[in-house]
Amino acid sequence: MKVLDQPLVVSGELGWLGGDKLERRVDHPSKETSTIADGEVTQQRDGRKPRSFSLKRAPQLQVLLDSFVALLGGDASRLNQAFSITFDSTRHDGGADAWTLTLTPRDTRVAKTVASIQIDGRGNEPRCMRMQEADGDLAVDLLGVLATRMPVAPTRETLLALCKGGS
Amino acid sequence: MPRSGRALLLTLWLLALAGLGVLVMQRLKVSTDLRDFMPAPTTPDQRLLMEQVGEGPGSRLLLLAVSGKPDAELSSLSQGLATALRKDARFSQVLNGGFDIAALDERLLPYRYLLSPTLDSEAMDKDFLADQFQQRLDDLSSPAASLLKGLLPRDPTLEVLKLAERWTPAKSPELREGVWFSAQSEALLLVQTHAAGFDPDAQSEAVAGIEKAFHALPGNPGATLAISGPGYFSVVISKQTRGQAERIGNVSTVGFILLLLLAYRSVGSLLLSALPIASAALAGIAALVLLFPQVHGITLAFGFTLLGVAQEYPIRVLSHRRAGEDAIASVRGLWPLLLTAIASACIAYLAFYASGVNGLKQLAVFTITGLLVAGFSTRYLLPHLLPMRVRDVADMPWLQRARRFVDRLPRPRWMPLLVALATVLMLAMAPGSFWQNDLAALTPLPQDLLQRDARLREALGAPDVRYLLILQAADAQGVLKLSEQLEPKVDALVARHAVDAVELPSRYLPSETLQRVRQQKLPGRTALQEAIEQATQGMPFRKDLFAPFVDDVETARSSPPLKPEVFAQSALGQRLSAMLVPREGHWLGLGTLSGVHDAAALEALASESGGAVRLLDLKQASESLVVDYRTRILHALLGATGLLVLTITFALRSLRRAWHVLAPMTLATFLVLAVERMAGVEISLFHLVALILAAGLGLHYALFFERDTGDVAEQRRTLHATLVCVLSALLVFGMLAWSTIPVLRAIGLTVSLGVAFHFCLSILMAPHVGHDDAR
Repeated sequence: MKVLDQPLVVSGELGWLGGDKLERRVDHPSKETSTIADGEVTQQRDGRKPRSFSLKRAPQLQVLLDSFVALLGGDASRLNQAFSITFDSTRHDGGADAWTLTLTPRDTRVAKTVASIQIDGRGNEPRCMRMQEADGDLAVDLLGVLATRMPVAPTRETLLALCKGGS
Repeated sequence: MPRSGRALLLTLWLLALAGLGVLVMQRLKVSTDLRDFMPAPTTPDQRLLMEQVGEGPGSRLLLLAVSGKPDAELSSLSQGLATALRKDARFSQVLNGGFDIAALDERLLPYRYLLSPTLDSEAMDKDFLADQFQQRLDDLSSPAASLLKGLLPRDPTLEVLKLAERWTPAKSPELREGVWFSAQSEALLLVQTHAAGFDPDAQSEAVAGIEKAFHALPGNPGATLAISGPGYFSVVISKQTRGQAERIGNVSTVGFILLLLLAYRSVGSLLLSALPIASAALAGIAALVLLFPQVHGITLAFGFTLLGVAQEYPIRVLSHRRAGEDAIASVRGLWPLLLTAIASACIAYLAFYASGVNGLKQLAVFTITGLLVAGFSTRYLLPHLLPMRVRDVADMPWLQRARRFVDRLPRPRWMPLLVALATVLMLAMAPGSFWQNDLAALTPLPQDLLQRDARLREALGAPDVRYLLILQAADAQGVLKLSEQLEPKVDALVARHAVDAVELPSRYLPSETLQRVRQQKLPGRTALQEAIEQATQGMPFRKDLFAPFVDDVETARSSPPLKPEVFAQSALGQRLSAMLVPREGHWLGLGTLSGVHDAAALEALASESGGAVRLLDLKQASESLVVDYRTRILHALLGATGLLVLTITFALRSLRRAWHVLAPMTLATFLVLAVERMAGVEISLFHLVALILAAGLGLHYALFFERDTGDVAEQRRTLHATLVCVLSALLVFGMLAWSTIPVLRAIGLTVSLGVAFHFCLSILMAPHVGHDDAR
């Protein structure tokens, strides 16, 4: 992030509650639960009052929600509605295909904040979700098997390699 | 008079009318400010009420609701409408729930440290900053990151958001898609106009502006915009009243013309008899234009109604013409009586002048000028123009039969006593309260509009229009200080649910004293830099990220405190300037209240302050104003009645004859009151004005019936003239009585009843004339 010297690392769980509901629970470094439901985002932190705001004010969350719900729900038409999609895959020596799905928001207003989302995976398992924000900041979610393998001092390069690369 | 002379006179008369018309067209300025029609306030509360009627923040609020589409589209309509209206100079404030940081002037942004209460409980030191920075770090890794990222370098303690929270209405509606929504899925907006709430013209312009802006938005088809609020209501009411009055007026004018044609069978006479009335109206307006800078719309509406009396003058002349007799000779015979009638009506209308209310003074000038012009032109101009040959109405067979019927009616001496007794009984037994003090009851709104207003007001937490908290001090700073002292007490009342929310001026701008106290708590540049350095230890923030923050704190620390007049220039400051107003040597702060549940608790709060704080009940103040108003009119009427008795007695040169004229008139007036009261009608100012008009007409009937000529034919003519007058008045005002608008109905019903009672009583109580004279 531009405002920070080092990347910010948090770990937790991202859960799809069905419908348009998503829950993001952070366990480390501090506990926080965010719920996206009915166009509202509610944040809860230990020892503080819950805070909520409209999804409209956080376009990258809208993007996250759209892509996640569509991907997990296998809803191709919804995905197509919100994004233009490109799909690359490369055959790997080791076995399953590695692929990258690039989603570019169609809504110009959203695109002002979120430039693109890339999802890296291998076989039928997503490994990484990278959200490229329009101001140059990058958010990387390591998913599934990679979730436990976050480096202590990650850089863009090491993370990218992790997403794309080796076992 | 020879033909050429008549043509010349007619031309001159028409030219004079045209001249008056031009003068009126050029100079007439119609005002619609209702305050012109209210008496000069005597108590401080009444004075405030008058100011409130025009300038109160509550009365200038319009509530908007956009519905009929999915939330997302309504939200963008709401944003589009708000953006358009914010550019419109007619509106001082537009809120739709979306907080616009741009609303706080860029130059004023550093002042956030003096405006926000953060420093009252915190010091801007290492510990506080470290806690704040840690929270921001958490924010950055949270879904809210993109919201806050932009603010971070300049405002790491999120003071702007704290102010935004402080300045949004305390009880704000649900936020959906970034804007306010009601439970019924309408996007809600709150708009404050610059124009006074009860200035229907300015408000209708503002409402039209809102509708135009809405219809110019892309995507508006399919969505509906609903508007509510005092200003909108004044537009609806005046449109409704004017529309119905015009429709009824058109129908009754046609009826009136047909009636006169039927009565006199002469188009020429009809057209000529319109001249005195036209002269009266034009001369009346011309007098107003010359004497007053602005003429009130209500003066004109009432004035034309009251001028209805003058229509009788030419009717009398037409009915009393004899075959073969010169019109001038007929008029000469009538003139003493006509002059008495004119003088009496003028005296009655003089009562309006004595009331001291500007609008009523105008009414008096208009009607008295009009009556005099109508009377004298009927006497000195009209007869010269009327055709020589006329049909004597006295020969008409139906009239002879009618006169015989009237003459045969029994006239028992106990009859007036019986009527008087019945009147007193009815007045005593009538249900409900005698006076209607609530002027709004006469111009009621459709129930669905009121319900919608209540619902939107509740949803938006918009301030109550009835109560206001008034803070008084020697200067603006004094008011702000007082407001600050009041804040904790008010918060306690809100916690006790005595009131839902209170908005005080200090919520927007703290006093200079408090600003200085906060200023002193701000650290110097180096101290702050050190604190930041220590606080960010071990955090990944970029070095020098917070330089804009340090700059802003330094600006806040070294600037002079923010003054109300500077703040008022910003978009947000408009709100404050509506709440902080200078008044004759002192300043007032207006605190708006929402959802008052316990007025007594607020009253107690006010009384603790020893007069510096007052709770203004606008409804009570306006009712006390109406009571004052009525008392003045009643006093003036009492005086006028005395004068009237003297005039009539002098004119008839007999107390006994005066009694025959005045007794039926008085009795009929009270009978109207009694019947209306029995029907459950509460008497308002409009009823009083209508009663005076009816009494004026009744006086004519009594005067002419009383006239002792001993000539049977002349008595028939009197009956004819009176019947034409009564029928035309019943036609015009009877139509009004059917109106659905209470104010029109009040006037229509009162005058119609009055005309009927005056007619019957003046016939039955007239000294018996004709063949079986009973005197």
